[in-house]
Amino acid sequence: MDYSNLRRQAASMKKGLFDQGLLDEQFRQVEDLQDEASPNFVEEVVVVFFKDSCRLISNLEQALEKYPRDFNRWDAYMQQLKGSCSSIGASRMKNECMLFRDNCGKGNVEGCMGCLQKLKREHAILRQKLESYFQLLRQAGPAGAATRPVM
Amino acid sequence: MMRQEERKGVTAAAAGRDQFPVGMRVLAVDDDPVCLKVLETLLRRCQYHVTTTNQAVIALRMLRENRDMFDLVISDVHMPDMDGFKLLELVGLEMDLPVIMLSVNGETKTVMKGITHGACDYLLKPVRIEELRNIWQHVVRRKFSTRECVNLDTYEECNKPPSADSDYVYGQVSCGSPDQNGRPSKKRKEYHSEEEDEDDDSNVPDNDDPSAPKRPRVVWSVELHRKFVAAVNHLGIDKAVPKRILELMNVEKLTRENVASHLQKYRLYLRRLSAVASQQAGIVAALGGRDPFLRMDAFEGLQGYQAFTSPAALSSFSAHGLLGSPRNNQAAVVIQGMPASRSIHTGSGSCTANNSIGDANKYHLSLPGNQHGNLAQGLGTSLGQAQLQHKWMNEDSGDLSTILSGNSLANGMPRTLQSVTSSPLLPQDLVECTQAKVAILPSIRAPSASLELLEGAVGASSGPLESHVSQQSALPLSGFSASRLPVHGSFNNSGATRLGDAFSASFRPTNGLTVARGAKVGAGSFGGMIDLTPDTEQKYWSFGSGNSLRQKAHESSADSLLDPKLAWSSSQLPSNVGAHQSISQRANNSSINIGHGARMFGQTSVSASPAVPQTKMDFLFSGDTSAPRNASESSIPRLQTELSSSTCSFDGLLSSMIKVEKDDVAFGDDLGCDFYSLGACI
Repeated sequence: MDYSNLRRQAASMKKGLFDQGLLDEQFRQVEDLQDEASPNFVEEVVVVFFKDSCRLISNLEQALEKYPRDFNRWDAYMQQLKGSCSSIGASRMKNECMLFRDNCGKGNVEGCMGCLQKLKREHAILRQKLESYFQLLRQAGPAGAATRPVM
Repeated sequence: MMRQEERKGVTAAAAGRDQFPVGMRVLAVDDDPVCLKVLETLLRRCQYHVTTTNQAVIALRMLRENRDMFDLVISDVHMPDMDGFKLLELVGLEMDLPVIMLSVNGETKTVMKGITHGACDYLLKPVRIEELRNIWQHVVRRKFSTRECVNLDTYEECNKPPSADSDYVYGQVSCGSPDQNGRPSKKRKEYHSEEEDEDDDSNVPDNDDPSAPKRPRVVWSVELHRKFVAAVNHLGIDKAVPKRILELMNVEKLTRENVASHLQKYRLYLRRLSAVASQQAGIVAALGGRDPFLRMDAFEGLQGYQAFTSPAALSSFSAHGLLGSPRNNQAAVVIQGMPASRSIHTGSGSCTANNSIGDANKYHLSLPGNQHGNLAQGLGTSLGQAQLQHKWMNEDSGDLSTILSGNSLANGMPRTLQSVTSSPLLPQDLVECTQAKVAILPSIRAPSASLELLEGAVGASSGPLESHVSQQSALPLSGFSASRLPVHGSFNNSGATRLGDAFSASFRPTNGLTVARGAKVGAGSFGGMIDLTPDTEQKYWSFGSGNSLRQKAHESSADSLLDPKLAWSSSQLPSNVGAHQSISQRANNSSINIGHGARMFGQTSVSASPAVPQTKMDFLFSGDTSAPRNASESSIPRLQTELSSSTCSFDGLLSSMIKVEKDDVAFGDDLGCDFYSLGACI
């Protein structure tokens, strides 16, 4: 039916995210934690993630400006963000975080800047896709939303 | 196992304690909301009862208000309001709860730091549920080890074969050879009985139930002794009077007389330790494990040490070093306590082996004064006292200044090793040593290494120690020693500087372990947790495994002086330094109790069990004894200052720790989120 169709679409969308490397296994672990007791757990976590990552990225940008070449500081900020990304399975973002940290290690300012831009792009992409995904899930109906998407 | 008050909201319907681990109460601390949320849910999925907070200060407050409210703490390493390691130290010190560290950063040195600070385990983010399902073991282990050996009777039990807990969770340590176990236990027994005889006290605080004295005698368990040392350090060895100590310790049914008598022994122990200074090399080596050069010296030192330190002292040291020493906790205590207290302070980062170092060739193992009662005894007996005397006697420094001088150690006094190891534990000494002059023994090359070893050992020692010491407990001490070993590290011999660095950086004589005069080895710093540089990881391991290393004399290279293993396993260390190495090697192989060690240490085979509670050591007193960080600075003086000064209160300690935490990166500013409007976010 309609619901099942929507659910299928959602599942397919999710699969796409995995295939493209935006999400990794950790996301599935998070999904596993969703159950009757917390039926919207995944979405809640994702919401928290984007809120927090916005803030962290913003802080990072300001730090890049305010503390030039303060690689330790930058690295510390990035570590925070990396932690969030890895907790939710935001794979591409996490990779950018790691590259950024590598650049910090090498003292490469341009490299850091470049990574940050890429990170912001990945962040935006992921957000948009997950938003669509959850929207689809919601449309698929409460039942659809509550059950773990079939992958 | 655990008695808990009624819990609310336990996910599993279980009664909690009765169905432990179901309902185990966990406090999760992480400033990252995403991680915290996921972690919370994971823990609930494991049927634990979870409380979360994103601020370490809040966590600390909750814990202080009622330490019985939780069974286990999981904390992130990087938090803006307080460094995770500080929290770790404080929790270990004040509440004696197992703490698991979490981090995105899995670098060995960071993991090592966690271990040396006393973490039971170190998990990498993202955390998987499988890992969390096993964390309850830390709680059990700790309880088990705390309870063990509380009494003389239990000593024997404890000493028995690789204690169950040793193998328990972490099971990695392979040092549980019966041999090792047997030995320590024997020592412990001896010590214990010695102590018993001398100790007339009737209160018994730490029997199975710390708060419910059941026996007439006071059993100075590791835990109790640790508290004692912490109190002494807090007050300053000179100002520590039984009445005040008693107040600080706050142990039911402990009388002033008990404390007074224990204090007397402790003082003697410290005096003896300081006399031993020359052994350091050997000891350090032992601790440092890796570096052969230390070993040699360490051995010598150890020998001297042994002789020197009263049996008690030595025993304590050895206990430490070996962590595994029968005294499970005792050992831990030893290390922590750096009974040598002042002199030993090695730990205090100040490895300022100033005085001791002066002796240069003597490595003062600065047996951690701790040993005070049990420990010292342990040490003493184990070490050939006579031998130690020579070596250990550190002439100028009354303090034990870790007998880092490896020279003497080289002789491989097996016994001394023990003591040495124990002393190495006294991070303080080590610290001092490294700082001061690690150069003392040119042979001691790798002070830093040793430190690491020490650290490793410390943590790792749990491994070898494990046999004796319940892993958990052992670890703390070991960890302590390991880290503290810095003292060894300070050996600065040319090569030794490493250790020194290691120590300095990490050495955090958290406890007031007043580094022995020379601040030599931070033995004192047991509490301080010497953050040995990661390189020494290996060392650490060896350290811990020192116990097991026993006298493997194999590589007499002086380098190993610092070999924590050696140090720790002092008892085991064969007279030659080589033994140290062996120890270290062992350590490497045996994953020192660190249960999850695999993760943590990665490299060093010895996975310093996260349990390395060092942090618990009382050392925390010193506000931030991270003095060691600065290589050989006068950390000692600083330490002492810190120790005696205001850092008395935990709060003060905390703040000083926070302040001092150099490693912390200021996460600082929250610049606000301009980047994306909230609305833009999902």
